[in-house]
Parts: sequence; C-alpha cells; structure tokens
Amino acid sequence: MSAAPRSREVVLDIDRLTIGFGGLVALANVSFDVYEGEIASLIGPNGAGKTTAFNAITGFLSVSGDSIRYRGKRLNGLRPNQIADLGVVRTFQKTSVFAANTVTDNIMIGLHRHAGARLWEILLARPRVRDEESRLRAQAGEILEMMGLSAHAEELGGALPYGEQRLLEVAVALAAKPTLLLLDEPVSGMNPSETARFMAMLGRIRAGGITILLVEHDMRMVMGVSDRVIVLNQGAIIAEGAPEEIQRNPEVIRAYLGHGADKRRASKREAGRA
Amino acid sequence: MDQFLQHLLNATMLGGTYALLGIGLTLIFGIMRVVNFTHGELYTFGAYMVFFFTMTLSANFFLALVFAMVLGIALGAAIEFVLLRRLRGASIDTTMLVMIGAWIAMQNTEQLAWTGVAKSVNHPFPIDPLVIGPVSVSWIRIFVFCVAIMLIVGTHLLIHRTRLGKAMRSTFQDRETAALMGVNINAIHTATFALGSGLAAAAGALLGPVFVLVPGMGDMAALKSFAIVILGGMGNFMGAALGGFLLALVEELGAGYISSGYRDGMGFLIIIVVLIFRPTGLFARAERIG
Amino acid sequence: MNRWATGLWVGFLFSIPLWMTDQYYLHILIVAGIFIIAAMSLNLLLGYTGQLSLGHVAFFGIGGYTSALVSLGFDLELTDSYTFVFPAQPVWIAFLAGIVVAGFFGWLIGKISFKVRGAYFVIVTISFAEVVRLVALNWIDLTEGPMALNNIPPFTLGVPGLWELTFWRKIPNYYLVLVTCILSYVVIARLVGSRLGRAMIALRENEPLAASVGVDVTRSLVLAAVVSAAIAGAAGGLYTHYIRIIDPDVFLFIYTVTMVIMVVTGGKGTLAGPIVGGLIFGILPEALREVASPEMQWVIYGVLMILIVYFLPDGIVPAVSSWWKERFDAPPKTGEERA
Repeated sequence: MSAAPRSREVVLDIDRLTIGFGGLVALANVSFDVYEGEIASLIGPNGAGKTTAFNAITGFLSVSGDSIRYRGKRLNGLRPNQIADLGVVRTFQKTSVFAANTVTDNIMIGLHRHAGARLWEILLARPRVRDEESRLRAQAGEILEMMGLSAHAEELGGALPYGEQRLLEVAVALAAKPTLLLLDEPVSGMNPSETARFMAMLGRIRAGGITILLVEHDMRMVMGVSDRVIVLNQGAIIAEGAPEEIQRNPEVIRAYLGHGADKRRASKREAGRA
Repeated sequence: MDQFLQHLLNATMLGGTYALLGIGLTLIFGIMRVVNFTHGELYTFGAYMVFFFTMTLSANFFLALVFAMVLGIALGAAIEFVLLRRLRGASIDTTMLVMIGAWIAMQNTEQLAWTGVAKSVNHPFPIDPLVIGPVSVSWIRIFVFCVAIMLIVGTHLLIHRTRLGKAMRSTFQDRETAALMGVNINAIHTATFALGSGLAAAAGALLGPVFVLVPGMGDMAALKSFAIVILGGMGNFMGAALGGFLLALVEELGAGYISSGYRDGMGFLIIIVVLIFRPTGLFARAERIG
Repeated sequence: MNRWATGLWVGFLFSIPLWMTDQYYLHILIVAGIFIIAAMSLNLLLGYTGQLSLGHVAFFGIGGYTSALVSLGFDLELTDSYTFVFPAQPVWIAFLAGIVVAGFFGWLIGKISFKVRGAYFVIVTISFAEVVRLVALNWIDLTEGPMALNNIPPFTLGVPGLWELTFWRKIPNYYLVLVTCILSYVVIARLVGSRLGRAMIALRENEPLAASVGVDVTRSLVLAAVVSAAIAGAAGGLYTHYIRIIDPDVFLFIYTVTMVIMVVTGGKGTLAGPIVGGLIFGILPEALREVASPEMQWVIYGVLMILIVYFLPDGIVPAVSSWWKERFDAPPKTGEERA
C-alpha cells in the first residue's frame, strides 16, 4: 500500500479531544488527522476508545469545545443529522438496518438528504414529487447494484442474511452521499471470503472519492486496506503510521499482548457487547 | 403564618401516603422497566377491601388494614404472573398497552362490584382533632402518617438488609449479570410487583377511611404516583419518598394560595416542568434503589 | 387495495344514507366516523413515528372547544376596566380555528417529545391532557366549566342571504364527516408515502441510524405531531358542531384509550388499521348494548386489548393481508401496507 499521503489536504482534524464518563477518562487529549481520499484505520484493544471517538465525531456523543473539525467546520455541538449534512456519515458496530422496511426503502431513507419535496407539494401530490420519487428509486437501484444487493431489493432489511445486512448498512450510509465515511467494525462476523469481497468494495468506494475512517479488529483486513493506521490504547494514541511500521512497533505489540488477547476473541466480545 | 403552618402539617400527613404510592411505582419501574398503569387500581382495591372487611364483614379495623395489604400483594403477584411474565423482553410500549388494558378492565370491574355510589369507611379514632397551638390535625391522619412511615422504613430495610433486597438491587443494576450470578429473575419480578402493589394497596387502605371511596379514585392516585416518581427520578427510592412529600406540599400550597380547583393539576404541571428541564428528576444524586 | 376496490368502497360509503333510513344508525356511523378520524390522526404518531401519545384526546378537545368558542363568541374580563370581546364567527372559520389551535399544541408536544422519550413521553402526554381538562373545568369565565358550552351552532353551507343549508339533520352531517374522513386519509396516506413519512418510519425503526444518514429527528417528530394534532382538532370540531354541546368530560383519558384500542386492534402503522378498528369499536358498543352494561363493555375492551397485544400484536389488517397473500398467492407487494 502507498505511504501516508502527507501532501494531501487534511479533511478531519481531531485536536486534543478529551472525553470522560464520570471520572473515567475514555479519551485523553487525542489528536489525529484524516487526509482527503485515504483509508485510515483506528485500531486498539477493547476499551481503547475507538467507538467513543466515532460517537464524538458523528455527534452521538456531545462534546463541547472545538476539538473536532471537518473541512474547517466545527463539529462539536452539532447533532448527528447536521453532521451528516456536512458529509460525515457512519455505520454502527452492531448491525443496524431498518428491519421492517424493504431493502430498497432502506436506501430510500438513506437518500433522505437528497430529496427536497416540501410538505405542501406532497399533500397536493404535485408532479414534482412523483418525479423525485422515481429519481430516488433509480438511484437506490444503482446503489444496490453496486453493492451487489439487487437480488434482495424487495426483501425486508431484517430478513437478510447477516453478511448481506452488513452490506446493506454500508449501502444505506453511501446513499447519504458522504465525503467521509466512518465504518465501525464492518466485517466483524463475516467469513474470510465475504471479508475479501468487502475489502474490494472499500477500494471501489474510495475510488468514488470518499475518504474512509475505519475501526476494525480484523488485522489482516486493516493491514490490507489502510493507507495509515492510528493505534489507540487506554484513551491515548500510542502509534501512527503506515501498516508496515505499525506491525513492527514494539509499543503496539505490547499493548495488544498486554491485554492477553488473541484478537479474535477480543473482537467477538466487543461486538457482542455493543 | 398560622395558616402556613397548618398547610405544612397537612402536607406532611398526606405526604407519607404519597411517598408509599411513589415508592411502589418506582420500584416496579426501576427493577422491571414496566410503567404500571394498574397502580391506581391497586390503591382503589386496598381502599375497597378495608370497606369490605369493616363495613360488610364487621371485622376489626386494624385487621382489615392488614388483610387489605396482604390481598394487594397477592393481586400484584397474580398480575405479574398472568400478564407480565410472558412479556419479558417485550418493548416498553407493548407492556404499557397491556397494562392500560388491565387498568381499564380492573377499574370497570370495581365499578361493577361496588357501584358508582360513593362509600365511606368508619374508623375507631376520635372525631375531635388534636389541637397543637395554632394548628390541628385529626387522629386518623396521625395514625395514617405513622403507619405510612413504618411501611416506608420497612421497605427500605427489606431492600437493604435482606437477601431478597440484595437480589432486587442487583437486578436493578444489571439484569444479565444478576441472572448469571444465580438470581431468579422471574421470582424477583414477581416479588417486586407484589411489593409495589402491596404498597399501593396499603396507601389506599390508609387513605380510604380519610376520604370517600369511588371506583374511579385510582386514576388520580396513579397519575400522582407518576408525578412523584418523575420528581424523584424513575427507579429512585429516596427520590420517590421525598417526591411524595414535595408533591403533597405543592398541592397543599397550590390549593391554599392559588385555587383549590387546580389542586390536582399541580402534579401534572410538576411532571411537565420537571421532565422538560430536569428529566432525571430532582434528586438524581440520591441513591438509586438502595 | 387497488383503485377499483377503493372506488367501490367510497361509492358504498356515499350510498349509505340513500338506503339506510334509520336515523339512529346514521348517528352511530357519524360518531364512529368522527372517532375514526381521531384514530387515524393518533396512528400517525403511534403507528408511524412510534411515539405513544396518550394525551391525544387533548387535541380533540382543544379543537372542539376552540371551534365552539369561536362560533359562539366569548368575552374575557382581562382587567377590571377592560373586557376583551370576541364576536361570534361563522362555523367554518371556527372549525379552521380549532384545527390551527390544536395544531399549535401539537407543535408544543412535538417539541417536548424530542427531549423526553419512551415512558416519559407517555406520562407527559397524559399529564398534558389532564392539565387541559382541569383548565376547561376551572376556567369558568371562558368555558362555563362543568356547566358545558351549549347551543353550539351546527355547520352551514352556502352563501348567507342567498341560499343556506344548515346541518341540523343527520344526512348532511354524515357526508361532512365522510368527506373529512377521506381528506384526512388522503393527507396521511400522501404524507407517509413521501420522503417525510419515510423519515418518520425510519425514526420508529432505528433512530440512531436515521439520524446518522441525516434525518432531522426533531423536525420529523414535530411535523408528525402538528399534522396529527390538527386532524384530531378537526375531529373535535366536527364532534362539537354535531353534538352541539361540549363539556370537560371530552378530555377524559378513556377517550384516548378508545382511540388507542382502535389503532392497535386495526393495526398500527397501516393506513386501513384505524378505519377497521374504528368501525369495530364504533359499532360494537351498539351491538353489545342489549347484553352488557357500559362497565361490562369496558371490561371486555380492556381484556380484548390485552388479548390483541398477546395474540395479534400487529393488529387485524396486517394479519388479514398476510393471510390473503398466502391464501391467494397474490404477487408480493412492495411492503407499502406496513411500510
């Protein structure tokens, strides 16, 4: 994989982010950047604060101050939907789809931001509304096509097999047309061939001009797709660099071994707890 | 000033029973995550049981109080066993719908059983009030207050000093862990609902002789219990106890200085205001279920 | 349902007064229709956004009282020397005023619902309805309190002075309710079928996910609450000008429960659910009249509600439509019924 693209523009700027839960420090003075067009990974043992960082960036955890900026705009204090409006969209660690809606409708909900019909137009059934609906439906079809979910278009989101549900999650996030996509353990629970397909998919998403920040426990995947890896341990960054550097970093090795973890078990536990 | 003292005294007397109601409801919510719409009906049930035993069967008044409370506990256990046990893990909305159904059915059964005509219960206490300086209070109210305080202290001890209480507290904190540690969650739920119901029935049995009995009396009791629980923070034992006295005080002062017509409205205003400005309740820092 | 079946249904409903000569049956249908409108409005909140609003009767009553007061006129002694006099207005204006005022209170409740959720929201809405009832009971200068507002004028149609039809009789009132019912249905159907309705459903299904893709939670809930309250207010207005008397009992919790039972039985989150539930519980009381006292009926309703939650949790409409699909193997629908 390519070396860290230092020359490129910083899009996400985390500057001294500190989060505590009643005396317990989850993140202490964490600073890192994400560059335009890269795939960056945030790794670390359980409880290192990865998901907390995701929640803070996407507004699910309200953080005061001025520690999170996206393309120069302050994200602190914004609500998740406002952050989505700025182009930052996430997925969740635990599988999260609209279970009672069809797969197509899942995507249509994801496209919410890109429709503009007003209430009065809807109530009067203006032609514009119908045109917009068919436009959205066509777009949903394209996204499903790209994610390889077209065959399931009319099934209920909750009725899909596990692997397909995880793809649907990413498809819903993509429908919101992010410029920065945050993926929280997207391949946990997938088998190796599904994971390999997902890695290829990530490449395609990136090729579409979307920057990706990934939280993942599957080290093979992290090392395989990332341009840069950021390692969190106990709420602080202990290493940052290209995958090869990280794999050799003694402190990273100690952090993982220190938790006595074989990573798979750790990842399972964390996924189950979410 | 004298008038104010009288209001304060009235509020204290009433607050004891309100606290009982609130504690019963908050235990059930805290441990079971059930919004118990039948709470007011158990209150009504307690009151009518005292009426039944003293007026119909001519039993001893104090004995009737005990019977009423015991039957309230039994009824609560039955409701949990028949209606709620199979809803474990259902959404809170689902259990709410079932409890609303139970509430409507129970209230109208009471209406059928006792008719809509108001009834009153005789009690063995002197009619002349106790006069202390500028204020006065009736003997029955003093008795009601003392019993209420005893029940509150008793419940507190039950939760803090017994094995059952310990199991209840651990269920409140983390149901899965408690189950793993060998706590029988089914039994805890039945016990909790029975205890909460018993407290509501006791409140009804105690206040029945003070007021008159009508089958719809439980609605106000239920809604006031909600107000108390929200004041104290859902699942908060001490909060509910303090909330009961606070609601009584606000009602008493509201009725005394604003308008008696809005007496019962105070609780609802409290609910709305507290939930908007301080949704964790006024006493969020106080201990939670022990 | 396809267009033909819908057309047939509507045609049938319009034909009823032509062959149903018993005015009493027509009265039952009118009242059931009014409750169906209210239940449809509750369904928008309860079924589509998933917010259990148990103070819904407040919007109904506020619409009714506002409409009654505006059509009767009122005066308020604001200070000793100044009395605000509001002259009586035509019923149509009063009816619209009721809708607007109810919608405003819906906006308030919607704003609150963003802060307080789940059990808390339920309790806030119940309290809201109780506060409104107590105000109606105690603000005697305005509402006459328990003495009720009497002689409320009925609807009129036409141009004053030229030709006017006053809705004294059942038949015009039946059509008025029917038309309002259809309008409300169309409003709700269009709304829930649109991107705004999808946002509401998304909140019900998975709020964090909905927010993460840009659904504005507050705005969606407020919109649902305003539309829902306004329609409930319209139902209240119809009721007031049909019955021509309104008292604080209109705010009783039992009426909210009636609406909830209608929605849950018929099928929450379906367009047809409140209609089916409303017809059942609008007509059932008359059928049970001979055999059961009102209290007994309520006991039956309560038990029925519990049984439905246990055995038919989605309600009648989804159960029937899935049975229909299995039985006749119709081409699979795109999930629009329970969307």
